[in-house]
Order: sequence, then C-alpha cells, then structure tokens
Amino acid sequence: MSDIIELQHPQQVGHEMRAEIRRISERGRGRRQLRSRIMVALCSVALAITSVPLLLLLYQLFQRGLPVVLHPSFYTQLPQTPSLVAPNATGGVSNAILGSLVLSVYAAVMAIPVGVMVGVYLAESDSKLAAMLRIISQTMAGAPSILMGLFAFSFVVRALHVGYTALAGSFALAVLMLPVIVISSEIAVRGVPNTLREAGLALGAKPHKVSMRIVLPAAVTGIVTGIILAISRAIGETAPVLLVIGGGYINSWKPLDPVSALPLSIYENAKSQWPSLRTQVWGIALVLVVFVFVLSLSARIWASRKQQAR
Amino acid sequence: MDQEFMAQVKMDAVEKSKAPDRGTAAMQLKNVAVSFHGRTAVRNCTFDISKNRVTSLIGPSGSGKTTLLRALNRLHDLTPGAKVTGQILLEGEDIYRGDITVTELRSRVGMVFQRPNPFPTMSIYDNAVSGLRFNGIKKKSILDEAAETSLRSAALWDSVQSRLKVAASNLSGGEQQRLCIARALAMDPEVLLMDEPTSALDPIATLRIEELMTTLKQRVTVVIVTHNMQQAARISDDCAFLLMGEDRAGELIEFDTTEKIFNNPIDPRTLDYTLGRFG
Repeated sequence: MSDIIELQHPQQVGHEMRAEIRRISERGRGRRQLRSRIMVALCSVALAITSVPLLLLLYQLFQRGLPVVLHPSFYTQLPQTPSLVAPNATGGVSNAILGSLVLSVYAAVMAIPVGVMVGVYLAESDSKLAAMLRIISQTMAGAPSILMGLFAFSFVVRALHVGYTALAGSFALAVLMLPVIVISSEIAVRGVPNTLREAGLALGAKPHKVSMRIVLPAAVTGIVTGIILAISRAIGETAPVLLVIGGGYINSWKPLDPVSALPLSIYENAKSQWPSLRTQVWGIALVLVVFVFVLSLSARIWASRKQQAR
Repeated sequence: MDQEFMAQVKMDAVEKSKAPDRGTAAMQLKNVAVSFHGRTAVRNCTFDISKNRVTSLIGPSGSGKTTLLRALNRLHDLTPGAKVTGQILLEGEDIYRGDITVTELRSRVGMVFQRPNPFPTMSIYDNAVSGLRFNGIKKKSILDEAAETSLRSAALWDSVQSRLKVAASNLSGGEQQRLCIARALAMDPEVLLMDEPTSALDPIATLRIEELMTTLKQRVTVVIVTHNMQQAARISDDCAFLLMGEDRAGELIEFDTTEKIFNNPIDPRTLDYTLGRFG
C-alpha cells in the first residue's frame, strides 16, 4: 500500500503489476497444460472401463436377440414346449409381451393417483404424518423388490383369495412404483417457487386451489418424468411378479386371469434344458430393453418439449 | 448523494404536496406489530392509508417494511410462528378478528411482489383472469371483459392483445410485472399492495410502472414498499418511515405526507435517512 503511494504513478504501477501477473502465468503454463492432459487421459480410461462391459452386453443382446425377434411368430404365438421330435418348436412370447403391458398399465393406474397425491401432500405439509410418510416411502424405495412379491402373495393371493392373477402382480408392481412416484413428485412440487404460491394466495385462492391449479401444473414435468421412470423400473422387475402372476400360457388382459411377463419368461426359459428356449431368452431381453428405452426416451423428449414451451 | 440530486428529490416531494388533503382512510393501522416465534419484526405502527393516494413505506433493510405490508393482506397466516397484534382495519372492519374471510380480504386487497411472478403454465389471458377463476367465475363474457379492462389499466393491452394465448413467460420482465399488476387489478381491489415492484426491473420499465401507479390511484389505493427514496418522493403522497431499533425490531419512526417527510420531518433520524446519511 505504502509503495504505491510513494511511487505516485498509479498507472505505471498498474502496468508493472500486469506484466508481473503475465510473467507468473507464463511460467506455469506448461505444467498446467501437462496436468490438464493427464486428467483428460485418466477420464478417457475411466470412460473406456465403464463402456466396455456395456457395449459387450449390447453386442451380445443384439447378436443373439435379433434373429429371434425377427420372426413374426415370436410376437404372435404362445409358448410351446419343444420335444425330441421338434427341438426348435419354442413358439412365441405373445402372452409375456401382453402380460408385461397389462401389468404395468394396471400398476400405473393404482400407483399414480396415490403416489402423486402423497407426494404433493409431503411437499406442502409440515405435519408429523407427513414426516412419517416420508420415512416410510424412503424405506420402501430401498426395500428389496422380492419383498413386494411376498407381500402381494400373502396379502392379495392368499388373504384376499384373489389367486395367481394379473391383479396380484400389478399390485406388487404398484407397491414397488409407489415410493419412486412419491419421492419424485415431492421433489418436483418443492421445486415450484414459493412466490407462485403466494401470488395465488394473494389473489384470494384457497390453498387447495393453489395446489391444484398453480403448483401441480408447474411441477408436472418432474412428476411425469418420475412416473415414467417408475414404470420402466417396474416393467423390468422379475422378483415381485415371480410369486404371484401364475405365468399363464394365455393371452389375456383381464385382471383376474393368470398372466406372464417378459422378465418371468426370461427367468423360466433360462432354466430350461432346451437350447432353443435358452436362445429365445435373448430375444425376450431385447424386447424388454427396447420397451424401457422407448419409455425413458419419450420421458426425456416430453420433458424437454415442455421446458421449451415455457 | 450530491446536492443537485437531493434538490430534485425535494422538488418532487413539494409537487406532491399539491395533492388534496388526506381524505377518508381505506385502511387504518392501530399499534400493529408482527412477530415470528416471539421475536418482534416490526412494531408501533399506527397510521392511516388514505383512499386514492399512494402511501410509501420507506426505511433501510431490516426495518420491517415488507413484513408490515404482508400483514395487510394476511400473507403471514401460513408462516409458522407468525403473529400479528394490534388492529388493521379495512373500511373500519378488523381484518384479523372481524367477519371478513381471508379469501374476501385478499380479493379486496391485492398484492404485487418484488419479482414478477406470473403463473408460468398459464397464458397471458389466463394469468390476467386467474384471480377471478380462483374465485369461481367461469362466464366467458365476464372474463373477457375483465382481461381487457385490467390489461388496459396496466398499460399492457396494446402490446399483448394480439397474443393473449401466448405463455406469460415470453414477456419481458417489465411486461411480466405489468401483467402481475393487471392480474391484481382484475379482482377490482380497493387497495393494491406493492412490495418493491420495480427492484428487479431496468430504469425504463421502472419508469413505466411508476407512471402507471400515479394513474392507478384514481381507482385504487396504493401502498408501496420501496428502497428507492427518489421513487418514494416522485410517486407517493404519504410516507411512513421505519427504522430498525436497538433490539433489531423495526418500528415506525414517522408518518406524514411525503412532502413533510422529505422537507420538514419531525424526527432527526428521518432527515438523516432522506438526506442519505445512512441506510
């Protein structure tokens, strides 16, 4: 400070300081560039390590699955059991494709209204009940999925005497989806700026109208994204449906019929002694992956469109 | 602050003094205090908000201006631990203890916030009539008329009438704030509360809002919180000066016509503040 005053040439001082700064930064440039290159190289290696298994998986999936899914009968026929006379007569998996769709639709119908409402409630309330519900849904989100299957088995299949049905399976999946929808809805609703709520209240709107007409529409992108993620998680789950849907060899959309599901067919075929059935597994897996991919892709496209419209 | 500037501020204030005598009161505050969890945020507020005049609340940060303003349409109701004591009368009726419901109060006492906050999922039209819709009005002819009248009053109609169905977020910041004013006006309120309505806007947009306020007072009583003393001098007829006390609670120091507050205040602290010696 005193130096500057003594020199009495502030502009000159500024000039010298700038030159000094430039000198120092020049000196360290080579070292910094080297460090930057090493970091980029390390990141590239990490990327390669993570992507190699994924690429191998996709390669195997398409290489073995594509020949299977190119047969129209794969989609139209019911499964058959091969015999010594016809070892390649595997039939199709129409029941599992239909079953998976039916199960996720029923599960979504059960889980979405409850999940969204609970999520909005958690975001808008500070009550003890809300705190309890939050802990429950967080615990449920981390619970092993086979637990949902056991619960649906003992409660729906046995206690309510519903039997091995699509209803029992979709119930298990709905319980699985519920915490995902609750948590993502709560986050989405909490993300709505408080100033919007106040604007609504200041216009004389009742609190429930503020929630329904202002907060929910503003949070809808996040809520729908959460719902689609929940569905795509549920559609790929084997454990919850394993014990309860009955694995029916029929094409049915009725809630009280036994149905099959894609992950369940994979599980059953993979255990089979027939190589033809074990090959079919890759086709089923491919269909399942495409399902999930289309779902999450549509969620992304929808969300970004919605964001742009704002 | 240089002298020329202060002279201008004073002249603005003198011009204001030509406004007629304060008429009847739209709202009356009697020893109003607001506390949060037992901690007083603002207290000792006793003054009248006169009809068809602009009343400004000025004072440094933390003096409780916004807190007091929000008490006037019960926005503290949902804040846990908030308590309003004293009396706030709207047309002689106690807004906290009278028969008036909070919904009715808020439709009679509108609010414009610091940052423009149009509803992002609604169009310009839907924003303008949102208050009416929240209160159950569905008839299209009424909504159409209210939309046009309120947008005209907010000096926005000409620029938006061809794109009423467009999302409100496409408007500029100044236009969004005028839409928020239109939204409040559509309810045909008696009093319009404005919480630093121009602090997020550029100077030109600010000027337009200020012009708007001076015309608005013919049909609605305006209460405005502002940090900008020049703005208070330019647009307000009456002025309340608040200051944070030693216990960090804001209190009313002085209330009078803007002319008196800026030129001839009773309390020396008011003079210090308006001269820019602190705050």
